[in-house]
Amino acid sequence: MKVYFLPDEKLKELIKVLKGLGKVFWSREREITSARESRTKIKIEELEEDAIQDYRIPGFRSYDSFKTFLLPLPSKVAEYPDDEWIDIKNIKQKTVLLGLKACDLCAFSLLDKVFIEDPEFIDPFYKRRRQTLILITSDCTRAGKSCFCNLLGRTPYVTSNFDLNLSEIKDGYLIESGSEIGENILKNLSPVESNEEQIQERDKNRKNVMEELTAQNADFVEAFSNPDILVSEGYKSEEGWNLGRTCVSCGACTNVCPVCYCFTLFDRSQGEGKKSKRFRVWDSCQFKGFSQMAGGLNPRFPLMEQFKNRYYHKFFRFHERYNEYKCTGCGRCIDNCLGDIDMREVLSGIKIEREKVNG
Amino acid sequence: MDNIYYPFEAEVTDIKKETPTIKTFHFKLAKPVTFKAGQFMQLTVPGIGEAPFTPSSRPGEVQEMEITILKTGRVTDVLHNEVKVGDRLGLRGPFGKGYPIDKFIGKEILIIGGGVGLAPLRSLIYALFDRVDDLKKISICYGTKTTKDQCFKDEYDKWAAMPKTSLNLTIDVLCPDWEGTVGVVTCLLEKDRLDVDVRNSYTVSCGPQIMLKFVTIKLMEVGFKPEQIYLSMNRRMSCGVGKCGRCNIGPYYLCKDGPDLCYADIKDYPNVFD
Ligand SMILES: Cc1cc2nc3c(=O)[nH]c(=O)nc-3n(C[C@H](O)[C@H](O)[C@H](O)COP(=O)(O)OP(=O)(O)OC[C@H]3O[C@@H](n4cnc5c(N)ncnc54)[C@H](O)[C@@H]3O)c2cc1C
Ligand code: SF4
Ligand code: FES
Repeated sequence: MKVYFLPDEKLKELIKVLKGLGKVFWSREREITSARESRTKIKIEELEEDAIQDYRIPGFRSYDSFKTFLLPLPSKVAEYPDDEWIDIKNIKQKTVLLGLKACDLCAFSLLDKVFIEDPEFIDPFYKRRRQTLILITSDCTRAGKSCFCNLLGRTPYVTSNFDLNLSEIKDGYLIESGSEIGENILKNLSPVESNEEQIQERDKNRKNVMEELTAQNADFVEAFSNPDILVSEGYKSEEGWNLGRTCVSCGACTNVCPVCYCFTLFDRSQGEGKKSKRFRVWDSCQFKGFSQMAGGLNPRFPLMEQFKNRYYHKFFRFHERYNEYKCTGCGRCIDNCLGDIDMREVLSGIKIEREKVNG
Repeated sequence: MDNIYYPFEAEVTDIKKETPTIKTFHFKLAKPVTFKAGQFMQLTVPGIGEAPFTPSSRPGEVQEMEITILKTGRVTDVLHNEVKVGDRLGLRGPFGKGYPIDKFIGKEILIIGGGVGLAPLRSLIYALFDRVDDLKKISICYGTKTTKDQCFKDEYDKWAAMPKTSLNLTIDVLCPDWEGTVGVVTCLLEKDRLDVDVRNSYTVSCGPQIMLKFVTIKLMEVGFKPEQIYLSMNRRMSCGVGKCGRCNIGPYYLCKDGPDLCYADIKDYPNVFD
C-alpha cells in the first residue's frame, strides 16, 4: 500500500470526510481539573465540532477502552416471546473510531476470536456491530508509564487490520489505507505521496517508542517469556501471588480492560402479558456472584481464587483455546487498580517464587 | 442467523411432585429438539431469568421434554411456587456434549446418583436401556437423605426388572419405612458390595459437588482409573455457549465441552472439587 503525507492543516479535512461516513468518536486529550490537581487525560468522546480546529491525535492509548462500541451497555439481546430482531436491525449506522492505538486494535482481534471466529456459536450482535465500525488507527508517539505491549510480543504501531493508519511526523501525518473503505477516504483527500525521508522519520519514531518500552519493562522480560506456563504451574504457589493481597474485589480492572468480555444475561419483565426483555451486561470474575452457585457453593473462594482467575483466564485458559494471550499490554488495569497492583509485578512475583522453590 | 440468546416457547403440560423439594415439569415444545443424554437446556421463566437443567426424559422424544427441578433459589423458587400447567416458559439449547455413549458399548456402566442428580441420569438410563443389547451391564447406585427425597420412585421396579440391570438404593439416615442400606452413597461402592468388573467399566456420577468428590476418591480406591470416571460437574452458567466466561474447569467450559467431563482430563486443574 502507498503511504501518503497529510499536512497538519489537512487533518481537519480528513475529519470532515469521516463525519460524512457516520458518527465519529475520537480519543482526545483533556484537561481534568479537580480541587486537588489538574492533569491531562486521554478520553474517548463523541466528536465536537468546536474542537476540530485544535484536535491532535494523542500520543498513546486512551484512559477508557473502545470495547463499549462492540459490547455496549446495556445491550438488549432478545425480546420474548416473538423476538423480532429489533436491536440487530437498528445497528445500521456506521461508527468511526479515530485515534485507536495498536493495543486497541489488538483487543478487537482478540474479541473477534471469541465472538465471531468461533465456528460453533457466532454472536449476531457483536458481528453486526463489528461490521459497522470504521477504524482509524495511529502510531503511539510515546509510551505510557503502565504500557507493556512489548512484553507480549506486540508493537506500539499497527501494520494491518485498520481502515486508515496515521503516523505523526514533522508538520503532519503519514497516512496509509488498509482497506477499501480507507482507500475511498484517501481518494477524497487527494494527499501527496510521502517521500523516503518521511518514511524514515516514521520508522525512527516507531523504533524510539519501542526502545522506550523496552527500557521501562526490562525487569519483566523473564516473567513474560511463557506466562501461560508460569500462571498454570505457579497457580498453587502461596507466596508467589502475595501482591494480590491488596485486591479489594472492586472489578475496576475487568471493567477498563479492553478484552475482558465476561458477561451475564439478565431478564426484565415489562409487566403482565407483555414481552420480557433480555439484556447482556458486563460481569466481572472479581465479583463473588460471578461464580457462586445455588446453595452458596463457590468454586472461586476465597478472594485470592478470584484474583488468580483473571490471570488464569488471560494467560492460560485463553491461550489454550486460541493460542493468544488475552491481554494487549495496554496497562489500563494497572492505572485503575485500587489496591495498587501492577500485573507485571504479579507475574514477576510468581516467577521469583518458583525459582526459589525449584532452585 | 439464529439468535443464540433467544428462548423458544415451551408449554408446561404437567407438573409432578417427586419429593417435598423436587418437581418434574413436563413440557410441550414449540419446535422439535433433539438432545443427547447429558446435554442441558437453559430454562427461562419469563421476566425472571434462566437456569440450566439437564432433561430427565428419554432423548428420542423431540416434541416433549421433562425437566426435574430442585427448589433452591431465585428461578427455581418461582418454578415451584408460581408456575402452573398451561404456563408458557422458554428454552434454549441443547448445549454441551452429552455423555460419550458410544464409548460405553461393550462395557459395564456404573451409574452413581445423589439427590436431584438422578434427574440427568434418568435420561442416560433410558438411553442405555435402548441399547442394552450392546452393553455388558448397567448398575445404578442412588443415594438420598431419606426415603422422602427419592425421585422417580414409581419407576424403580421397572428399572430393576430390565435385563442386565441392577438398582441399589441407600439413604443417609435411618427411616422407619426403610429396610435397605443406610449410609452415604459411597457405601454402595465398597469393594465387597460392588459387583462390577472394574477393568471393563465406565462410571458416570451426578450429584452435589461434595458427593462427586468422595465418590471419585472411593472409585479410585477400588481400582478405577481417572479415564474411566465421568463426572457431571456443576458450575454457575449464563450463556450456555462458552462466551460469558464463568463455567470453566481449567481450559474446559462445562457448557460447551461438558457438563460431563472425564476425571482424567480435569484432575490436575485448580478448584475441581473445592
Ligand atoms: C449443566 C447443569 C445441569 C443441571 N441440571 C439440573 C437438574 O436437572 N435439576 C436441578 O434441579 N438442578 C440442575 N442444575 C442446577 C441448577 O441449575 C441450579 O440449581 C439453578 O441454577 C438454581 O437457580 P436459582 O435461580 O433457583 O438459584 P440461585 O441461587 O438464586 O441462582 C441464581 C442464578 O445463578 C445461576 N446458578 C445458580 N446455581 C447454579 C448452578 N448450580 N449451576 C449453574 N448455574 C447456576 C442460575 O443462572 C440462576 O438463575 C444443573 C446445573 C448445571 C450447571
Ligand atoms: S489485562 Fe490489563 S494490560 Fe492486559 S489488556 Fe486488560 S487492561 Fe490492558
Ligand atoms: S455458561 Fe457462559 S461460558 Fe459457560
